[in-house]
Amino acid sequence: MENPIWGNGIFRKKKKEEGIFALLKQVPIFSDLTARELVEIEKIVHRRKYKKGELIICKGDPGLGMYIVVEGSVEIVDEDKKAGQRRLASLTKGSFFGDLALLDESPRSASATASEDSEIIGFFRPEFLDLISRKPKLGLKVVLALARVVGERLRRTNELLIKIPEEKGTSSNG
Amino acid sequence: MDSYTFQLYSQILKTFWRIILIALGIAAVVVLFPFMKDVLTILIISALLSILLSPVVNLLESKGLGRSWAILAVMVLILGLLVFSFQMIVPRLIRSINALTDRLQSGIIFDYNQKIEDFIIKNFHNAELAKNVTARLNELGFQLLGSLGALFKSVGSFLASIVIIPVVTFFMIKDARHFKRAFISKVPNQYFELSLNILYKIESQVGKYIQGQAIDALIVGILSIIGLFIINLVFDNPVPYFVFVGTIAGLGNLIPYVGPVLGAIPALALAILSNPPHLGLILIWIIILFIVVQAIDNALISPLVVSKSVNMHPLTVIVAVVIGGKIAGPVGMLLAVPFTGVIKVVFSQVTWGLKNYKISFPSKIEEYSVLNRKR
Repeated sequence: MENPIWGNGIFRKKKKEEGIFALLKQVPIFSDLTARELVEIEKIVHRRKYKKGELIICKGDPGLGMYIVVEGSVEIVDEDKKAGQRRLASLTKGSFFGDLALLDESPRSASATASEDSEIIGFFRPEFLDLISRKPKLGLKVVLALARVVGERLRRTNELLIKIPEEKGTSSNG
Repeated sequence: MDSYTFQLYSQILKTFWRIILIALGIAAVVVLFPFMKDVLTILIISALLSILLSPVVNLLESKGLGRSWAILAVMVLILGLLVFSFQMIVPRLIRSINALTDRLQSGIIFDYNQKIEDFIIKNFHNAELAKNVTARLNELGFQLLGSLGALFKSVGSFLASIVIIPVVTFFMIKDARHFKRAFISKVPNQYFELSLNILYKIESQVGKYIQGQAIDALIVGILSIIGLFIINLVFDNPVPYFVFVGTIAGLGNLIPYVGPVLGAIPALALAILSNPPHLGLILIWIIILFIVVQAIDNALISPLVVSKSVNMHPLTVIVAVVIGGKIAGPVGMLLAVPFTGVIKVVFSQVTWGLKNYKISFPSKIEEYSVLNRKR
């Protein structure tokens, strides 16, 4: 990131980070955005580098926002006193996690840790809310896309819930 | 030395160096403060202005204006208003101070001295005591006028920096996000979310608090001006320069408990100096006006616009005002309470963060590393 104090803010020629824009475009909540709108998103995200084994988010901590994997891989782990640690998913380049924290500050439902040296983009709720107030059209596009993602997830959960009694019934009959 | 002891030793050494560096930093700030005072004043005023103007800039941006253009538009508007009000108020202010000095020099002091002396001689039968009291009162009066002159001198140096402040404010509003990103990029990963969340919460609460205080002061100022204008209409102008007095009442309102009294004193003093007919009745109406304004402020305005999270104990307010006065005179007294409010917000948010985030991250990282190795 360019130093805001020593960097020339007026005559600075912005380097187009095509790779990052292409990556953001892969994320469902940014997929409908134009190149110009992606530039606005790029201005408010945080890029971080994590070493292998480093914790990114911890289960139970207040949720602040979502993360997108740029390089490397991330493991989502569920910690439970009784069941111990359970690996839920392994995420690679272009995958995202923690998106529900864009909606509220509920505690994180799982932990995420870098399973190799990784680069990650963070997109956080306060910046998102600020974006909605400054650029309502762009904000609305992201909100609708986020609602679609959450709705899709709810639909899948419903389908799974319907399947469970059916499977139970089949196993008890069998 | 086993690896655990070695890690502990290096951790203690790191903490020790950090404490030394922080102590040196604080010492440097204290030593350099007199030299940095002007720069700090400009930075603080610009930061306050950027907090106050950001919502308007955001509003213009949401209407489709580019951020830089939105900031420029707001700055031009504010500068226009400032130039207009300076053109309107400053000549009147100078005229009113001159008039006040003329009145004081044209024997009004002598009249009051005589009245006080007569009162003491009549009640205490002590001519020497009467002379001492009037001499001391005169001395106090001239000291007060002298400090008023010093205040205007500081306003003069403030006017000199008025060219720099808009430029600094412009970049503070435009690049606030970049400054924040640059700062947060230096925070270690294990404290990243914690620091970012605390920073956002502090930014939001401090912004709301300062905006609330400013709106509150503005409304109290306007109400006082309207009230004094009505008193002037009814009683044939007993409080001259009422716009100036109302402005002081609005600014004084930044200091809880003391502010309302500070606001009423100039109005009462000017009315006494004008010495109009029905003086007693006018003084009662002025007191009633300021009580009503305070009641409206406490019942309607404050609960709506001032953040409740920054309620302060009266003792805290008094200590803050005294310290502020010692450091930076009248301006320091005015800014002491908002500044203490900011410190309170910072402290409460840091405490919230430390309570809600699990800080034992390094050990957790080790746990996960062990988990990864096992897998």
